[in-house]
Amino acid sequence: MKSVIQVNDLYKLYRVGDSYVRALDGVSFEIREGEFCAIVGTSGSGKSTLLNMLAGLEKPTKGEVIIDGHHIEGLKEDELVRFRRENVGFIFQSFHLIGTMDAVENVALPLTFRGVARRIRTEKAERMLDMVSLSRHKKHLPNQMSGGQQQRVGVARALVSDPRIIFADEPTGNLDSHTSEDVMNLMKRVVQEQGRTLVMVTHDDHLAEYADRVFHIIDGRIVKIEERTGAAPRRKEREHESI
Amino acid sequence: MRWSDLLRMSISSLKRRRLRTFLTVLGVVIGTASIVVMISLGLGLQQSMYEEVEQNGGTTSLTVTGKQANDMYMYAAMAEGEEQSDKYITDEVIEELRGLEHVKSANPVLNVSAIALKGGYMAYINLYGMSAEELESRNFELKPGGRLPDPDSQELELVYGNMVIQDFMEESTGKGYWETGELPDIDLEHDSVFLILDQDGYFASQDTVSAGMSEAAGETGPETSGQKKAPKKYVVRASGVMEGDGINDYNANSWSVFCDIDILKSCLQKEFRGRAIPGQPTTQSGKPYKQFVYTSASVQADDMEHVEELTTTIRSLGYDVTSNIEYINSMKKQFAMVQAVLGGIGAVSLFVAAIGIANTMMMSIYERTKEIGVMKVIGCGLKNIRQMFLLEAGFIGFMGGIVGNLLSLLMSVVINALVSGQSMGIGGSLSYIPVWLVGASLVFAVLVGMAAGYFPALRAMKLSPLAAIRNE
Repeated sequence: MKSVIQVNDLYKLYRVGDSYVRALDGVSFEIREGEFCAIVGTSGSGKSTLLNMLAGLEKPTKGEVIIDGHHIEGLKEDELVRFRRENVGFIFQSFHLIGTMDAVENVALPLTFRGVARRIRTEKAERMLDMVSLSRHKKHLPNQMSGGQQQRVGVARALVSDPRIIFADEPTGNLDSHTSEDVMNLMKRVVQEQGRTLVMVTHDDHLAEYADRVFHIIDGRIVKIEERTGAAPRRKEREHESI
Repeated sequence: MRWSDLLRMSISSLKRRRLRTFLTVLGVVIGTASIVVMISLGLGLQQSMYEEVEQNGGTTSLTVTGKQANDMYMYAAMAEGEEQSDKYITDEVIEELRGLEHVKSANPVLNVSAIALKGGYMAYINLYGMSAEELESRNFELKPGGRLPDPDSQELELVYGNMVIQDFMEESTGKGYWETGELPDIDLEHDSVFLILDQDGYFASQDTVSAGMSEAAGETGPETSGQKKAPKKYVVRASGVMEGDGINDYNANSWSVFCDIDILKSCLQKEFRGRAIPGQPTTQSGKPYKQFVYTSASVQADDMEHVEELTTTIRSLGYDVTSNIEYINSMKKQFAMVQAVLGGIGAVSLFVAAIGIANTMMMSIYERTKEIGVMKVIGCGLKNIRQMFLLEAGFIGFMGGIVGNLLSLLMSVVINALVSGQSMGIGGSLSYIPVWLVGASLVFAVLVGMAAGYFPALRAMKLSPLAAIRNE
């Protein structure tokens, strides 16, 4: 299968006082097209830093991030914005919907940034909301919806621009376990149906079970890559050779 | 992003914080209104100056004078160190002036003094003969029922300045308005007066004794000589009197009497047949020239811009030129200064408003840090974010500009209403808001808003998108 994301020897150093903290300490991996990957680690393990670098929100200290054949570690900020606009969808832990816009407008926002005409983007956003079963909440403002509903709007927004890759940062972090399950199932279903690549960051091992592959990260190193394929999860664990 | 979307987002975020937007706009309203009102006062002054100039012959008119026949003028002019022209203004010269570039019209003006008699009153009047076209261009404001002299009439018809009435003195005592404090009981509009063009002759015939004494011996008697020399008294009627009361309403033409030049010319020529007309140059032997010499020529330039050029041209032909342009130019400089000072005072308040806008935008950006970050993460271009905030700031300026202009129009009306109650001797209105001022102040308010919003917008653009997805 074709690889969509390729990470080579990625380092990120933060300066704390006189010493440096290695948030990422030489990470290399590959994510294939259509895969659902989970990056699992405790807080402070560097998992969020890794996600930020994949999305071009942070610059690595060293190493390369190649997405769909393009190096993104050297891009300028406006080029990164364009890259995200064209290729990436985002799902946030605290939803981050725009409070003054109703569900349809929120979902249509990425299309607005692309300059899509109002009629077309509204149509598409409504289709997305139907897909995440929020047909009855199209005109609701975020504060009129429950957390689960808001996150489903978030999922719809991430998908509306047909991105190749979707990044999700603790997508269920602010939801109760029941709602979490709903949202996870929704995400998994959509990714499978539409063949998109999903990269999710979580600290919850249980949620990682939804993924095809799980990257365990501790202290900035990937220590283990779990792979499960097929309907019957087949566990194939192997130790990751750390560099 | 589309402009319509940018605009919609900017307006919706302004709407979100109604009170703050309102207060910020209010600052711009006051700033714009103070600038516009201040400048409108300056423009009102300028306007009334132009009106005054208009009465004085307008911005495009030039008065061309040539050599003066009267020696007295010559000395006066030379005493002032001015170069005296050595050419007379004749019909040929008028034709020559008409042929010059930028000349719209050129007409002769003949100025003579005459005596007017009415009842027991007598007045020395300053009579200006002008062509019908020239009279027309002077834009006299006549009292109702008045009209300009008819050039085809056989008789002289006069247009009196509104203050000419003060010239009439009691013939017996020699007391005029300034001594008695009373205007003579003459209705210039309807009464006819006797006009005497030959002043010397009139006095000669009046004062028979002195006349007799001064006459060379050999005269048969005072009666016959008086009879013989008594000048013709023309019975003339007014075709119009200028608007305004006889004491206070001064304008440039108040003291003058106007009539048609051709009729005046023929009257003079008839009156002084075979003799030199006073004011006309004479040859060494005291004979008049063949050609009639006018006092001056009134030239209209086609445009105010060309007046100076035309002045130089005519001067190079050897004539003296006076126009209002020098006066206007110096006044213009003064008014520019007055306007700059007034506008500067207003600009201070707009500057304060600009600080208000900057403050509001900064606050808005702090509040929306997360929102801006999210937008960046999901693909809103940096340029679009900057545009969004610039639009917001510009919109504040725009609304403030519109309301500020409405307010200043209102204030202008009120100021003018208050001032017109008192007569201040200023023609027109004190506050004058032309369309360009409305447009310019609106554009200025928008620009100020955008300038004030520029650095906040830049800041928003540079906000790190990471701040948004960091979980707090």
